[in-house]
Amino acid sequence: MIPFNHQKAWIRSIPNHCLRSRVTVLMPLIALFAGLGMTQVVVAATIHAVGVENEYANVIGQIGGKYVTVSAIESNPDTDPHTFEASPAVAREMVGAQIVVRNGIGYDSWAKKILAADPNPKRKVIVVQDLLHLPESTKNPHLWYKPETMPAVAEAVAQRLTELDPARAAYFAANVRKFDVSLKPWYQVIARFKARFGGTPVAVTEPVADYLLQAAGCDIKTPWNLQAAIMNGTDPAPQDVGIQNQLIKHHQIKIFVYNQQVTDSLTASFLSKAKAENIPVVGVYETMPTGYSYQSWMLAETNALRNAVERGMSTTVLK
Amino acid sequence: MLLENSGFFSSEPVQTALIVGTCAALVSAVIGVFTILRGNAFAGHALADVSSAGGAASFLLGINPLLGFLGMAWIAAFGMEFLGVRKVRERDLATGIVLGAGLGLSALFLYLDVTTTSTTGAAVSVMFGSMFAIPQSLIGPALVASAGVFLLVGLLYRPMMLTAVDPDLAAARGISLRWIGLLQLLALGLAVAVCALAIGAVLATALLIGPAGAAIRLSRRPAQAIFWAMAIGLTAVWGSIWMAYESYYWFSGNAWPVSFFVVTLVFLFYLTAVLVAKVMGLSARQKPVIWPHCEA
Repeated sequence: MIPFNHQKAWIRSIPNHCLRSRVTVLMPLIALFAGLGMTQVVVAATIHAVGVENEYANVIGQIGGKYVTVSAIESNPDTDPHTFEASPAVAREMVGAQIVVRNGIGYDSWAKKILAADPNPKRKVIVVQDLLHLPESTKNPHLWYKPETMPAVAEAVAQRLTELDPARAAYFAANVRKFDVSLKPWYQVIARFKARFGGTPVAVTEPVADYLLQAAGCDIKTPWNLQAAIMNGTDPAPQDVGIQNQLIKHHQIKIFVYNQQVTDSLTASFLSKAKAENIPVVGVYETMPTGYSYQSWMLAETNALRNAVERGMSTTVLK
Repeated sequence: MLLENSGFFSSEPVQTALIVGTCAALVSAVIGVFTILRGNAFAGHALADVSSAGGAASFLLGINPLLGFLGMAWIAAFGMEFLGVRKVRERDLATGIVLGAGLGLSALFLYLDVTTTSTTGAAVSVMFGSMFAIPQSLIGPALVASAGVFLLVGLLYRPMMLTAVDPDLAAARGISLRWIGLLQLLALGLAVAVCALAIGAVLATALLIGPAGAAIRLSRRPAQAIFWAMAIGLTAVWGSIWMAYESYYWFSGNAWPVSFFVVTLVFLFYLTAVLVAKVMGLSARQKPVIWPHCEA
């Protein structure tokens, strides 16, 4: 007999949807194949990966292609991921994965706890924060808005996939190249925005798209403490609210960027003030909306920024 | 002047906080004195806590949070009344059970808030209040709710007071204890809703009971107690709003929440009142005996 935890590892390599129904049938078969040294049969099955945030899941899927089944945990663009609460089903999904990609910087500390509660040296966990060598004290956790983040994630994912299935190394490497090329149009839009509209003053409700705005050369006028208060749902300082209201009232900003997923009466009041002053409004998302890939999502948001400053056009919802 | 330089009065969140905070201080002063005289301090606290379920539900339903707080406070008040509140021991039991059930609902609604909607900080603002984040659109409803309290108490001051301090005497005079009790609960629910909106459901007790408790220690007559409770409540609320505003400069932009200052000031006022009462030889325990004869 093979040791028990080996069995567990092989079961994990079966696509998740098969697990519940077929696991009892498969168990003796797996043991048999393993015993006969026919492990290839099982390893050739798809690798099960989890992207804690759905934009990471999307990139895993693009790199792993047909050799990986990916699930995303945080994928509802109508809720605030900062307040996510994990269920036992989510925990099962996570500990059963061979590759897990999570953001870090306290954004998904619940995922860290779940993984720590079920240590498995075979599971490959990619923490994007570590990938980018960012300290725990990093203020803005929305790393996927940084243009340089996903190429690093794609590279790391390909490396782990190759470790699990060395025979497909060339396939994964080709997908990384394809992915990097597909980011080019987005990078070009950012570069053109920066060249033409660099220094554009903008106000935000919270820091979700700050990395992108900075990459595009925008000047974020909203005090950081106000952004943090809205992100964390704490009391905003009246002084900071006053500064933001003045920015809008005196047209000291060209775009008002607000997070669709972190809203309260205060963000609603900023939004209605901006609309009343005819300041173009751009709604951005924290979680990748349905119908988008990571690249097309980022491109759409950057185009929305360009439309705002170039044509005074508001984009409140991504369709 | 310091206040003018820092833009205190011209700040929109400060104006809203001052208006709603003033409402909360005034209604809680009046209702607090009645509540303490009736020996209902724990029930008042429980009502405030349970109203959090309504506040949490208001995010789900997309309704005015004041209505949410009010609806749940009323449901809980009538629940307690229905479960029987005659004997003190039974009353504490009924109150405790309603309190537990209500907070359970809060836990559910707050969970649903964050898992099905994009509301951020619902838990903090419902439980502990975010006075500087109260939307201006709630000023009107808060004023109406406060006016409701003053109307009820203004019309029924004497029968309410007599029922509060000596129910037997009130009954002997032909006052319907049931009706007065019910109307009193309506007024208490309104006061709880305004307080919960201002400093959060969990901390609302501090305003509801604190200033009135301190005032009763210092007063010889109920009207006097209400006056002192108003003075203490207003000082606490106004002082807190100012301190929270100024704390922005103390902690390099990281201002502290108003609710913390309110609760702390109320506590300090209460301690001072206890000390003053001791020094002046006023004994709180004699009051309920003396008071009915002053008023009746």
